[in-house]
Amino acid sequence: MHSGISVVLKAEQLGSVFNFPITNSLLMAWLVMAFLIAGAYFFSKSLKMIPGKLQAGIEWAFEGAIAYMTEVLESEVLARRFFPLVATIFIFVAFINEIEFFPGVGSLGFFHASEFLPVLRAPTTDLNFTLALAMISFFTIEITGIATLGFFKYAGKYVNLTSTIGFVVGLIELMSNLGRLISFSFRLFGNIFAGEVMVLVAGYFLPYVLPAPLMGFEMFIGLVQALVFAMLTLFFIKLAIVDPHEAH
Amino acid sequence: MSELFSAFGVNWTLLGAQAVNFAIVLVALWYFLYKPVLATLAKRQEYVAKSVEEAKQVEALFARADGEAEARVRAADAEAEEIVATARELATTEKTRLVKEAEARAAAVAHDASARAAETIERARRESDRDVARLAVLAAEKVLKEND
Repeated sequence: MHSGISVVLKAEQLGSVFNFPITNSLLMAWLVMAFLIAGAYFFSKSLKMIPGKLQAGIEWAFEGAIAYMTEVLESEVLARRFFPLVATIFIFVAFINEIEFFPGVGSLGFFHASEFLPVLRAPTTDLNFTLALAMISFFTIEITGIATLGFFKYAGKYVNLTSTIGFVVGLIELMSNLGRLISFSFRLFGNIFAGEVMVLVAGYFLPYVLPAPLMGFEMFIGLVQALVFAMLTLFFIKLAIVDPHEAH
Repeated sequence: MSELFSAFGVNWTLLGAQAVNFAIVLVALWYFLYKPVLATLAKRQEYVAKSVEEAKQVEALFARADGEAEARVRAADAEAEEIVATARELATTEKTRLVKEAEARAAAVAHDASARAAETIERARRESDRDVARLAVLAAEKVLKEND
């Protein structure tokens, strides 16, 4: 057992079921999922024509989000089609990031071979989760682009043989598109993981006072990162469905 | 690349599991949250639109009823006025008739009185004539008697 700060870059494996590894981040993802699904289920049972405060708030948020998406995508049909994806990205990531700072997450665990294994770890501090989310976002964006513009027109955005400059621009577009996979996943992972490390370090220096305001700040960052992930998905969808000739 | 992945603990099984997790959350929230909430919003919007339409209809109905009531009051007013005018006219006619009748009666009475007075005078004259005649006769008798 070693004292001091231990920063582990990857989610720790707690055990395995039929060769399927169970990590602490997977466990927490399931916990948040159960919380969200149960919450949504009981909320849907309590929907009324004359809304209470919670229902009015959620309705306000949904209407606002759809209105904003309609503005960005310039189509209400598309806004309503992509609203579930964008909203789920925000809600899932935001809840994970907020629950991360609840007591017990990261601090409850057991010692295994003189190494401390926390039972729960925020999935957003596990690259598996952020990369999975980035891939979902990436494929949604690309498939939407192909479905809207047609394969050849969409491919024409990246492979442009009409001029040298066009070809280079297309190549840069292609690279930046693929780069989204990395930027999406590492942005979320880096922000949340760094926040966790910072709170950990602050706790090492001044355990009873310093972490509190930092935790508050990190909870705010968690919300912002959830919003950033959802908004970027929305904006990239918009970029993908723009006709290459209209864009100029 | 694989070194980088192993440093971050990227494992395709886990990555797939997290993708499935997200898909489950997406479907569950779609079914339990987005669909019912958006349906409620649409239902309420429809309800409000219907209510506004109904309120408009009721308002029109009220306006029509108001107009009808006003017209009826106006008609009643006119009718009452007419009745009063007729009554007044009738009263005037009646008054004139009564006055005329009274005048006629007064004239008749006066005529009657003057006639009676004339008759009385006549009678008186006749009576006095008779008296004069009798006196003359008496005087004559007396004269005759004296001459005898």
